[in-house]
Amino acid sequence: MVRSPAETPAVGVRFDDAFLKTLARLQIVSRRAFSGQNRADRLAHKRAHGLEFADHRAYVAGDDFRHIDWSASKRLSRLLLRLFDEEQDLPVYLFLDSSGSMAARGKFDQARRIAAALCYIGLAEYDRVTIAPFGSALDHEITTGRGKGRIFEIFEQLEALKPQGATSLIDTFKAFAGRRRPRGVTVVISDFLDPAGFERPLLMLSRLGHDVFVVHVTAGADRDCADLGDIRFVDAETGEWQDIELTSELAAAYLRAWDAHTADLETLCDRYRLAYVHADANQPIEDIILRTFRLGGFLA
Amino acid sequence: MTPGVLSAWLVVAAGVLAFWLFWIKVRPPRYHVPSLLVWRRVFAETRVPTWWERVRRAVSCALTVLIAVALAAAVARPDWRASAHVSRTLIVLDSSWSMAAASPGGGTRWMHAIAGAAMLARSSGGEVIIASTASGIELGPTTDIRLVEDILTRLAPLAGDDGRWPVVAGGGAVHFFTDGAVPRTLDPAVVVHSVFEPVPNVAVTAFEARRATSVAASAEAYVEIANFADADQPVHLTITRDTTVLVDRWIEMRAGELVREVIPLDAIGGPRLRAQVSADGNALAIDDEAAAWVVEADPIEVLLVSDAPEALVAVIGRDPAVRLRLTSTSGYVPAEVADLVVFDRWLPPGPASQPMLAIAPPSATWLGSAGRAEDAVGWAPTQAHPILEGVEPVMLDLVGGRGYEAAEVAVIASSDRGAPVVGIQDREDRRLVLLNFPIDAALGGAPALPVLVGNAIEWLARPFHGAARPPGPVALPSSTSRIVSPNGQAVQLVRAAGRVQATLTSPGLYLVSAAGSESVLPVNAGRTDLSDLTQSTFSPRDGLVAAPTASSRSWWVYSVLLALALLTVEWWTWQRRITV
Repeated sequence: MVRSPAETPAVGVRFDDAFLKTLARLQIVSRRAFSGQNRADRLAHKRAHGLEFADHRAYVAGDDFRHIDWSASKRLSRLLLRLFDEEQDLPVYLFLDSSGSMAARGKFDQARRIAAALCYIGLAEYDRVTIAPFGSALDHEITTGRGKGRIFEIFEQLEALKPQGATSLIDTFKAFAGRRRPRGVTVVISDFLDPAGFERPLLMLSRLGHDVFVVHVTAGADRDCADLGDIRFVDAETGEWQDIELTSELAAAYLRAWDAHTADLETLCDRYRLAYVHADANQPIEDIILRTFRLGGFLA
Repeated sequence: MTPGVLSAWLVVAAGVLAFWLFWIKVRPPRYHVPSLLVWRRVFAETRVPTWWERVRRAVSCALTVLIAVALAAAVARPDWRASAHVSRTLIVLDSSWSMAAASPGGGTRWMHAIAGAAMLARSSGGEVIIASTASGIELGPTTDIRLVEDILTRLAPLAGDDGRWPVVAGGGAVHFFTDGAVPRTLDPAVVVHSVFEPVPNVAVTAFEARRATSVAASAEAYVEIANFADADQPVHLTITRDTTVLVDRWIEMRAGELVREVIPLDAIGGPRLRAQVSADGNALAIDDEAAAWVVEADPIEVLLVSDAPEALVAVIGRDPAVRLRLTSTSGYVPAEVADLVVFDRWLPPGPASQPMLAIAPPSATWLGSAGRAEDAVGWAPTQAHPILEGVEPVMLDLVGGRGYEAAEVAVIASSDRGAPVVGIQDREDRRLVLLNFPIDAALGGAPALPVLVGNAIEWLARPFHGAARPPGPVALPSSTSRIVSPNGQAVQLVRAAGRVQATLTSPGLYLVSAAGSESVLPVNAGRTDLSDLTQSTFSPRDGLVAAPTASSRSWWVYSVLLALALLTVEWWTWQRRITV
């Protein structure tokens, strides 16, 4: 006999126009400033050909004399060059856990919605958003392009994803780091049920210079195991099984272990200044984006 | 391997099987979880199990095995004491007819006795012997309770020797299941289980056809019916003669009343009489009917072979029960049909196939040789015999006689000088009465002569085996060759000690054949002592039935109760994850 948790009916990734308009007014807050490749609505620390005046410096041979501030040079009797802050785009990497553990209880649907919402916010800001589904390794990345109009193509690609396989954060991030990429905001959307642990991968990601945001997706039913009796638990990712005589004491121990798992993740994020946001699978997406993420300082 | 040991093995096997079933892995229902990561973390916790957690599986296993053993023991009921000292229990069932009486609470006394005997046998724990008062030992000794139960279901109330008591060597407890209708002197050690419960009954307690005492009728029927009840009740009496209804009326009978009636019978009519009673309060059916045989309705065909028959005709011809035919010695044909042949001073070369009355016979090779003549013979009986009933020597003065030497002739009366006067042969192939004196005009006036001749004719042609008798064993003369029961089947005969033994199990008219003669033996169940079902030599059932004690009650009931209790405990603890 197979008893499985009640499957949550699949919910579409697409949002209505009102929510899209709301999302368009939001902005991903990066706690660091990163250099982009294209002009965008975000200031870069690179002093270049922007529109916003930043500072003066002494003219050296080879500078574009069109930027010489003649008025200041006359007053100070030496050639001064005007400097501007260049407005550049922000690299945003959305790591979407598509392993087998995300399949049940609506976690993957919730994760896809979060990824879609953040993607739309990024596109509206002309950021360069990359969605990276992963399981045991990094899958094909979804490059979104630029502009809000691309969001519907993103919706289709997200809806085509199927959660399966094991979870390996370390292999995923190793593959991610194997390519030269601009540093930016990395958002890891996962349940973090990785047998190899989550501490080392997240620290590795942080040490690569990225601004790491952790979105912990959970379902209430994952925590609840009471009154199951004699049961064979089957791992949704690996197919491994474990026969358990589920006593009330064991169920209590499981609850403690589950809460410890969550607490460990929060503690890690707090210790290494990684942003942590918890998202329940049954929580409305509007509530997650407009309240939880904003309260967490992730969106502005 | 005895059934008891086999049952013990079954119980042990059930325990082993339960133990094995307990330890085999039952595949639990599957439940998909996102990951076993957290569960591994739970199991990785080092925790010292409590004492109860360490022993709970062993306790659960012990309970399971105990339940299986208890259930198996309840089903197989092994004899745990097979290897110990084997006790012996003799269970005697009173199989008299009264045990077939219905009980007020349902069933019959016999059914109550069988149930009690079966329960006693199951709880005896040793060898059991089953016996009945009718047939003696029926089974045993045996420890096979199933066999005992089987034989008990086959037994039924059966006519038997009420005085018989089975004797078993080896001692042991003796239990007697009875209603106490037949008084018995029992050993004080016998445990009496009374199944007596007073019930009303009506019965035909006596019924016979007899020669009439008046000239108005040739015979009469005597019937006695009884109302053994605590209350008055109407009783319906029916008497039929073959198909003719002689009596059909209701009689208002008082409690305990006996009604006797005499019904005159005509000479013309069938010989079969049947009396039947019925009433509302009537617990026993077998004594409601009685049968009788009217001898006078079936005259004896007598062939007189004589060359000077006048004196004998005068003697035999007066008997209304005799139909006499005459023939001369030269005209005698051995194959002639008759119930009896009388040879007057003459004998054929060979014996007749019918019973024979030989009067003053001459010498014959098949019988004997005549001796010396005597005058003015004085005589006396040498033994009591039906032929001599009512015959006094003073009423029969023999004027002449002679000696006669014959083998296998029993002399029942002899002369003063030792010569045989009356002799008989009562063999399976030949029945004969020898009157060793001539019957002529000089003797014709003797008053005892017609009685003697009539007795001889009746004894030869219609041997009387007594009045109606109750069902049971009967001993008949050795000449008896065949007995046919009322349903037409031959009754098994046993020859022993010069008699023929037979058991007449059911009421009715039995036809007894002996060397060419035939007679009817009525067998009726009704008796004033057995049909009175309101009386007993023991107290009512509730008073004397040995109440089953805790030790004698069937232990398998406790085994089932134990199994149920353990199942409840196991279920309760399982529900709370205490033992599993």
